[in-house]
Amino acid sequence: MPHSILTLITFLPAGGAALLLFWPRTGASAIRNIAMGVSLLTLLLSLPLFPAFDTSNPGMQFEQSAAWIPSLGIRYHVGIDGISLFLVLLTTVLTPVAILSSWKSIQTKVREYHLFMLLLETGMIGVFVALDFFLFYVFWEVMLVPMYFLIGVWGGQRRIYAAVKFFLYTMVGSVLMLLAIIALYLLNGATTFDFPAILESLHQGNLILSPGQQHWLFLAFFFAFAIKVPLFPLHTWLPDAHVEAPTAGSVVLAGVLLKMGTYGIVRFCLPLFPEATREFTPFISLLAVVGIIYGALVAMVQTDIKKLVAYSSVSHLGFVVLGIFALNEQGLHGAMYQMLNHGISTGALFLLVGMLYDRRHTRLIDEFGGLADPLPVFSAIFMIVALSSIGLPMLNGFVGEFLILLGAFDADRTYAVIAASGVILSAVYMLWVYQRVVFGQVTNPRNRRLLDLDFREKLVLLPLVVLIFWMGIYSESFLRKMDGSVSQVLQHFRSSAVVMKH
Amino acid sequence: MDGSLALEIPQIFPEIALSVFGIAILLLDTFLPKSKRHAATGIALAAIALTAVFTLGLVGEDGTFFSGMIVVDGFSIFLRITFLVVGALTVLASSSYATRENLAVGEFQALVLFAIVGMNLMAASNELIMIFLGLETLSIASYILLGIKRSDAKSNEAALKYFLLGSFSSAFMLYGIALAYGATRTTNLEAIGREIAAGSAGMTLIYVAVGLLFVGFGFKVAVVPFHVWTPDVYEGAPTPISAFMSVGPKAAGFAVLVRVLMVAFPAAYAKWLGLVWLSAVLTMFVGNCVALVQSNIKRMLAYSSIAHAGYILVAVATRNQEGVAALLFYTLTYALMNIGAFTIVSLVSRQGDRKTYLDDYAGLGFKQPGLAAALSIFLLSLAGIPLTAGFAGKFFIFRAALESKFVWLAIIGVLNSAISVYYYLRVIVVMYMKEAPDDWSPVAMSSSAIAVIALSVLGILQFGIFPDMLISLARSSVIGYR
Amino acid sequence: MEIAVFLFLSGIAIVAAANILVQRHPIYSALSLIVTFVALAGIYIQMHAEFIAVMQIVVYTGAIMVLFIFVIMLLNAGAEQKVPDKVHVVKYFGLPLASLLIFEAGLTASRTFDGEGIPVESASINLSGNTEMIGRALYTQYALPFEVTSVLLLVAIVGAIVMAKKEL
Repeated sequence: MPHSILTLITFLPAGGAALLLFWPRTGASAIRNIAMGVSLLTLLLSLPLFPAFDTSNPGMQFEQSAAWIPSLGIRYHVGIDGISLFLVLLTTVLTPVAILSSWKSIQTKVREYHLFMLLLETGMIGVFVALDFFLFYVFWEVMLVPMYFLIGVWGGQRRIYAAVKFFLYTMVGSVLMLLAIIALYLLNGATTFDFPAILESLHQGNLILSPGQQHWLFLAFFFAFAIKVPLFPLHTWLPDAHVEAPTAGSVVLAGVLLKMGTYGIVRFCLPLFPEATREFTPFISLLAVVGIIYGALVAMVQTDIKKLVAYSSVSHLGFVVLGIFALNEQGLHGAMYQMLNHGISTGALFLLVGMLYDRRHTRLIDEFGGLADPLPVFSAIFMIVALSSIGLPMLNGFVGEFLILLGAFDADRTYAVIAASGVILSAVYMLWVYQRVVFGQVTNPRNRRLLDLDFREKLVLLPLVVLIFWMGIYSESFLRKMDGSVSQVLQHFRSSAVVMKH
Repeated sequence: MDGSLALEIPQIFPEIALSVFGIAILLLDTFLPKSKRHAATGIALAAIALTAVFTLGLVGEDGTFFSGMIVVDGFSIFLRITFLVVGALTVLASSSYATRENLAVGEFQALVLFAIVGMNLMAASNELIMIFLGLETLSIASYILLGIKRSDAKSNEAALKYFLLGSFSSAFMLYGIALAYGATRTTNLEAIGREIAAGSAGMTLIYVAVGLLFVGFGFKVAVVPFHVWTPDVYEGAPTPISAFMSVGPKAAGFAVLVRVLMVAFPAAYAKWLGLVWLSAVLTMFVGNCVALVQSNIKRMLAYSSIAHAGYILVAVATRNQEGVAALLFYTLTYALMNIGAFTIVSLVSRQGDRKTYLDDYAGLGFKQPGLAAALSIFLLSLAGIPLTAGFAGKFFIFRAALESKFVWLAIIGVLNSAISVYYYLRVIVVMYMKEAPDDWSPVAMSSSAIAVIALSVLGILQFGIFPDMLISLARSSVIGYR
Repeated sequence: MEIAVFLFLSGIAIVAAANILVQRHPIYSALSLIVTFVALAGIYIQMHAEFIAVMQIVVYTGAIMVLFIFVIMLLNAGAEQKVPDKVHVVKYFGLPLASLLIFEAGLTASRTFDGEGIPVESASINLSGNTEMIGRALYTQYALPFEVTSVLLLVAIVGAIVMAKKEL
């Protein structure tokens, strides 16, 4: 494996975007093929990471480092560990799926659409592989721009409102994070923005953060990540963005973008600010639990399927945050696993909703009913995905939720119990919507003539369904790769906390 | 003494060259037939290129010349280059504009050259009197350039308004200079600094002098509460001149402000720091918040330029080398993005500067993708999105602010830059997410405008993705700078 | 005695300057300006700057103001129309604030000097005429500002032409 593999994976889509920039705008199908080809090539390049990843090494792998802005100690430093490996793979899997899903539904400004899709992929992968704070921040922000355009140009009725809201929310959080990054850099002697180096000097005792500094730096980082997650009560941008975004945008948004927040918490907040993490854990866990219940309750009363799925994301991401702040092995494992699950299941749900929308141009639950009859394949896949989202054993959702609850139970029983009731609520809204849409007689005559999924649509859903089963039945193949890195995060966390106490 | 003066002349070759070429353009303009008068643009560009050669020839010089009147150091050389970049872009951008609007090209370009002379002298001044003369040269050239569309009421209003407020601020500045002279018996910046350090100057008088100087410069660079003229003037001015005004005089004003405060009045400056802090915060907030509700893009950019003055003022408040380096970086890159943006505004506004409203940009994104993409890059850079020079500039400023422990100033600064995203995005929204009107008429491009836009985009991306060279240069320019 | 003369002259200068603004007819304003200049010239003489004083009279009062008045008469400009003030802020805040500024400036100035001005180096003044000193300063120490002033004036002339010429 060449040592610049991550760079290649990261910038290949951007290269594709550059190619599209100079491609004549008339050849719509050629443009789609190029975009699809580039994203598939990226996927192909990224797949060998999985077997090549050394399970016994908890540290960074496939690292590449080069000077970028030497006068400030900024480096181009990328690498992945067990935490980011799967997020990179999730991104490379979901992007071709998303592009394929919009094969028919995007008919205007095709070139720009695919250009932004590919740029978005570069941004997302970049966030997960960046190990230099500056580089991380650059990817974190730059990724907003293509997403903003995807929502704003190809979105629904209130797309402009949603796009701007999305951009501003994220921006406010991230500028504070920027200041925290600069502060961390200055406190560390103004020599490097390199995350492993800063972490190292923290462990060596060269960089000592006072409790006050930890407190504020943690908050600045956490605020940026919490908006992205989104943690209740910072979640209000999410339903708007999801509902207005085109299907592929929603898939990527739910599948990958939300994970950046939780990824950031695990990657930066926990190891860098262990004391502050402990300090805020009760408060954050409370917000996470409130988010779980609130998201589920609001999802239950939605009339629009897409909005329902959007609110279910708030609930599911609450689980992830709860798992992280259980601050133990099971919780963190579960959180990492649930991040992937959510990406796959919710991504699939958005795809299904999008397919319904393509057929009927509505997403209101009342408009549907009895779809099992005209759309058998659709209904079957919908069933699998809904059950995965609920957390049925044998499917992926179960593993994650179970581990999270296990960890949470260890950390705080009350929260665990309340969160567990969230699982029931999720079963309620998911099954209820399934029942209203799929079961019974065909209530609306217009639904009778609907065509079932075509080959392309099946192809879109197939990888996700395969992953749902694989991750549910043989979770070991994934958990084993995460294990080392997750343990290391916790070990760092505990040892730093001990050092602090002395 | 007489002999030494002649030897020192190379130190002001850049200014001499610009003045000579300015006069040459004026002379030539009289003798050339009307159809060939656009040659002025070429001559002006040649003058700027030659001046750049002279200026670069000064690299490495460090000292004061002409009996301490001017100082040639890294700082002044960096700024001179900045002004030449500003000048070159302005000359290029206004050549097609002047043709379109039927303006006198010769006088226009000559005045731009004279304005650069003024800015150069300001940057190189080591003397309050020299600063004043440079500032007046710049100002008078600006008054004329603002009002050069003589038949246009708005242009006249802009010129008159700027003239009145400009004279007013000059009076403040002169009062400050007089008081500083009264307290120290010298107008030489270093001598003033020595006098004050020696304790032989009346400090009360110095404080008042510094306050008055700050007011005077505050008008020129448009910081709150001395900003009220900005939107009217930028709106009414010929668009390339709005661009020029928003970057050239602003950079010169800030450069001189920093030099005066840090060389001559470091102690008194410390006393005024609270007010500078307040002014920076107000400038950022007022600029950004008022820009949110503008529907005329020129006014929006005017308020945005007020907000940017606020960010630069943060750099001034830091009082460290890092801050001054950030200021140098910021003013140069800000010039690129703002001139780029105004150039596109000038193209879109069509003849007579009619279409300057936000709605006039509807659908531009897919009608003329290149133009819209360039404007988007300029706006994203103004908003401070990474990989653009605007982000790098803000990054350096806030880094300097944190280094000087101005944590709140930095927080307010970044929150403001988040606010600003909204109104910059608004333009992008209109360009890409609204449909073009049925009576869409394509925007006429000219090769010189394309050159300006292309150069600005390249500069923004170059300094945004690889800012190392420029910031290293800026840092080495302020080494040894007191 | 010296103080009394100074106060008298500066009083005239200030009153005349205020009168420029108060008068509605441009001719009266121009004449008031002349009074201000003459009073200033008197102050210059007090400061042993006879050459400047003479130049002030000759150049400003004699040449420039005559041109001013000439132009005003040529244009046959009448009294300006009284426009009702739309912005009352100016009326109610401007004047008090301006007075406050002047008061403060005066206060600090008087405190700083404490009754003692900066000693004028009268010895050198008596040694040679101050015209010669000005000439020497202008062509040695202040050679550069002197030259820059010429550029400044050139720009101003160009500007005047650009603004006023019928056809460019």
